[in-house]
Amino acid sequence: MIRHLFTLMWNRRRANALLIVEILLAFVVLFAVGTIGVDLWANYRQPLGFEYEQAWQVNLAFGSQPRAERFATLQQVLARLRALPGVQGVAVSAANTPFSFNNSQMSVDDTDAQGKVVHSVETVNRFDIGPELREVLHLNVVAGRWFDPRDAAPGAHGSIVIDERLRQAFFPSNAQAIGKLLSFDKKQHRVVGVVQAYRADGELQNPVPAVMQPVFAADTAFLPDALLLRVAPGSGAALEKRLTDEVRRIGPTWSSRVRTLPEMHASQIKMLLTQPILLVVMSVFLLLNVALGLFGVLWLNINQRRAELGVRRALGAPAGAIARLIVGETLTLTTFGLGLGLLIAVQFPLLGAFEVKASVYLTAMALAAVGLYGLAAVCAFYPGRLAAGIRPAVALREE
Amino acid sequence: MSTATPVIRLANIEKVYQTRTIETVALSQVNLTINRGEFVSVMGPSGCGKSTLLSLMGLLDEPSSGTIEIDGRPVTSYSDKELAGLRNHKIGFVFQSYHLINDLSVIDNVEMPLLYRAGIGGGERRKRALDALDKVGLSARTRHFPAQLSGGQRQRVAIARALAGAPEIILADEPTGNLDSVMGEEIMELLLGLNREQGTTLVMVTHDEQQALKTQRLVRFFDGRQVA
Repeated sequence: MIRHLFTLMWNRRRANALLIVEILLAFVVLFAVGTIGVDLWANYRQPLGFEYEQAWQVNLAFGSQPRAERFATLQQVLARLRALPGVQGVAVSAANTPFSFNNSQMSVDDTDAQGKVVHSVETVNRFDIGPELREVLHLNVVAGRWFDPRDAAPGAHGSIVIDERLRQAFFPSNAQAIGKLLSFDKKQHRVVGVVQAYRADGELQNPVPAVMQPVFAADTAFLPDALLLRVAPGSGAALEKRLTDEVRRIGPTWSSRVRTLPEMHASQIKMLLTQPILLVVMSVFLLLNVALGLFGVLWLNINQRRAELGVRRALGAPAGAIARLIVGETLTLTTFGLGLGLLIAVQFPLLGAFEVKASVYLTAMALAAVGLYGLAAVCAFYPGRLAAGIRPAVALREE
Repeated sequence: MSTATPVIRLANIEKVYQTRTIETVALSQVNLTINRGEFVSVMGPSGCGKSTLLSLMGLLDEPSSGTIEIDGRPVTSYSDKELAGLRNHKIGFVFQSYHLINDLSVIDNVEMPLLYRAGIGGGERRKRALDALDKVGLSARTRHFPAQLSGGQRQRVAIARALAGAPEIILADEPTGNLDSVMGEEIMELLLGLNREQGTTLVMVTHDEQQALKTQRLVRFFDGRQVA
């Protein structure tokens, strides 16, 4: 029967060409939406590498205060905030805090003894952070150690902590990364520890390798303008007001804005999902059109083929076989459209387009194929039942 | 070749077509027996119920009242699937307008009844279809499509399709109605040959008295009633 279906549909390919094109377009849309969805889902399933539920962010604006005075004021602010009831830890940070849509990216090199680059990772997120960040965000050190006062001492190489993703790019194991030198900013830095993959960009963004460089109180080269706080559970508006008041009191020209990381997280998710949701809504309308088109064509087709269906019944086809024939024909047409669609879709993983993993493309292809077969089967079901209900004697008499 | 064993028996058959406003009696009090190996022709004016009779014999329609027996078994209580099985195994149809599927080749058209028969593989289907086409003298046209054939050739394909399932009964509804006299004679000879040489039971609706007289028995209908 399958051969019969393919023969019949192949012989009717010209008559069904537009339908095949429609199915092809529907596949392309489903594939595109599926790729985005699967990619987002794959990203979402990977751990963030930190805990943000009890973390707040304070953005600082220094106003007219001279730059040289800001460092001392910052230390006073830090000391005061750490002393506040409800505040369990405070770490300084550059503006690229979690979920902030800010990032600082650079390339990191592995060099040999002669300083020649042997391996380079082009896109690495750089985080200039206070050593207290580990407690504030509950970072998980998987090898080596976190920053400590030893790293504040001047030396030939600055200390860095890398995340597992960057480690994987350079070294075969976590342990083998410890003590190794990596280069950026035209300087070599010694890896002292490895943390779990750190995804400050949020769980919906493609994970990017990370390197962390410590900012100590004595540093006056870099002035952090963000603070990350761990607060006691249940902290709310009162603590928020207290924080801004304290900042204003210590630095009269300073202003601050407090946001909780859960708020920032929710806002980021909302923003990043807006486009995919719009795309899904549009594709749902498109698929609805395809479904209605398919349904209409099948309905018309059955009315035009009443005599043929009557003959099939006369030759011994039970009603169920007629219903299966209509569904089978529709699925066969879908296979033709799908075959063409897959020829297009398979180019994406082969060419490595958009830096999306091949597995994401393949999953999206499978989902789009299943979705399209499902849609075709649903559209063909009712016309199939109608066809099965055709009384052969009536259909043949009409002819 | 004919024996006295009834293969189709119609008893007290009534067929009434009912619409919201009108009731049309297509057949009334029909009692007819077709014996195994018989070649029976049915004649009558248009609208006298000949095609309805053939539909009932072919289990394509149900009578309003009365009994249809095939091989001595009443078919009234049969399910759709059982009726389809009977049509597939026992009955072959030949229509005036051939009813071939234009998008299928000759061989695929002829294979069609075997598609709905369980336990026959693709190779066996093809073999039986080729044998049937050979019987009607069209084995050289297997890859052609119906549109590439003449009317007579199309009707031969339709007969081959009816033969492919090796049915005991062939019901032919004006098989020569769309053909010229020469082609009509050819088809008639083919049907007579099937009856004579293979013992196939044939019931043929026709308007052609000459052809009807070549069959073993002639049944006449008028206004839904059997008159001779």
